[in-house]
Amino acid sequence: MVFDDIVKYFSEKYPGKVSGKVEFKCNFLTVDKSIFKDVLREMKEKFSFKYIVDVVATHWPNRDMKFDVVYNIYSIENNIRVFVKVMIPDEKIETVTDIWKGANFMEREQYDLVGVVFEGHPDLRRILLPDFFEGHPLRKDFPLKERKWFNKADEQNLGIRFTK
Amino acid sequence: MENVRVKDNKDYLGEVITVNMGPQHPSTHGVLRLVVDLDGETIVDVRPDIGFLHRGVEKLAENRTYHQFIPLTDRLDYLSPLSNNLAYCLAVEKFFDVKIPERAEYLRVIFAELARLASHLVWIATHALDIGAMTVFLYAFREREMILDMFEIATGQRMTSSWIRIGGIRDDVPPEFFDRLREFIEIFEERVDTYERLLTKNRIWLKRTKGVGYLSPEDAQDYGVSGPIMRGSGIPFDLRKAEPYSIYDRFDFEVACFDGCDIYSRYQVRMKEMRESRKILEQALEQIPEGPVMTDDPRIGFPSHEEVYEKMEALIRRFYLISKGFKTPKGETYACVEAPKGELGFYIVSDGKEKPYRLKIRAASFVNLGALPAMSKGYMIADLVGIIGSIDIVLGEIDR
Repeated sequence: MVFDDIVKYFSEKYPGKVSGKVEFKCNFLTVDKSIFKDVLREMKEKFSFKYIVDVVATHWPNRDMKFDVVYNIYSIENNIRVFVKVMIPDEKIETVTDIWKGANFMEREQYDLVGVVFEGHPDLRRILLPDFFEGHPLRKDFPLKERKWFNKADEQNLGIRFTK
Repeated sequence: MENVRVKDNKDYLGEVITVNMGPQHPSTHGVLRLVVDLDGETIVDVRPDIGFLHRGVEKLAENRTYHQFIPLTDRLDYLSPLSNNLAYCLAVEKFFDVKIPERAEYLRVIFAELARLASHLVWIATHALDIGAMTVFLYAFREREMILDMFEIATGQRMTSSWIRIGGIRDDVPPEFFDRLREFIEIFEERVDTYERLLTKNRIWLKRTKGVGYLSPEDAQDYGVSGPIMRGSGIPFDLRKAEPYSIYDRFDFEVACFDGCDIYSRYQVRMKEMRESRKILEQALEQIPEGPVMTDDPRIGFPSHEEVYEKMEALIRRFYLISKGFKTPKGETYACVEAPKGELGFYIVSDGKEKPYRLKIRAASFVNLGALPAMSKGYMIADLVGIIGSIDIVLGEIDR
């Protein structure tokens, strides 16, 4: 099985909502938000993409579609890697933790750093940054030079807040 | 293989207490904090709490040129810096479709395999120490010292070497490096036998590792774990064979794969991998040709030192590459290598400027840690130390 077969199968099933391209030797399958979860489930069950490698979110503040979410999945049986790309207008997207369990950590990381909200995620908390951190650093509008410090008065309490 | 997981909890107290482990616990290999729910001594749930070492590497990348990011990759998995350099440089090179000189490709493979050996030696040393076998630590660090000496001869640094560059490597290695390498290859097979004699049939080792930390092949793929854990679960998946990068398709080696799905088979995988790495090193040492070590592609390759001292154009090009960097075409790409811990990948989004628009590091340890709760539920609290050790995590890579 090659990448063209997958593209052909999905573009026949969902006309106009799926497109595929090969960019710098990587297979990209761009999928509409309304059907992306069906496509991913079918990728796992029909085309044996059982190994989830990564979830990547990118912020594009100057576009109508504000975020890209890319699912990097691999089929060990067929030895093929596909990047399923979903463009979303706001930060909300459905979770895929019910398809791959490993998506749990990956989605938590993207929520933490980029601020994409994965709806239906069982445990959507910050993972790398502390719980009281404000903002999402990998967004393009995150202020770089504006330093925030801990408020010393609250240091010992649980309700720590950042003050300027 | 018998799975010794305790499935039936009714004999226990039925009272769950929550215990904090780390972040300064010696067996957590860094600053990993675990919140463990215990029923008696049986683990009911484990929640990893990470981020103590978060340095914002992905954000730093957005404000640095492609060359300036190379030293930061060393600080991810600091036990095998040269594998990280290689993964990053392969990702940037994908934008240009550039031809790397033969000698540079061979040296890259030699460096990557030496980094794998150094990392695995630290793993066997500390993992055995965690479980209670002290002697292996001293033997393994003796051999690691030989590898670090080789790195020092070649790159000037024992760790954080940042030696691989986009388009080749920084400089050729001195002839003494190959003498040391030859010496190392000769003795290493025998040294691995020594470790195996100490552990493989050791009754305490078997009791502590066999049937502990079970992860089924289906779960291994579902959780996205890679590297020795996936191969220890019976899936013969190795990126060096599946998607051969660099020149790995030229070497004759086997994929180490055992189907015990437990700590013991992960140990077996890593031991076999060390032997296979030695085979690759031997072949690379035989085949390595003479020649340049940096591409002559003027877009990304640095001119050699001789050229810089003699030619004005080369000096200008070098100055320009260092101060301004180079532009990549618009688009997104991904490159990955089989690092000692698993699949290490760099996903780069470029908007056509000198700096990456977004750079995502697919860290093997981070994803492997996600499977820790599944591996440790139902075992004893003392097994948790062994299970963490078998994942072989490096917190620099997890927290980034």
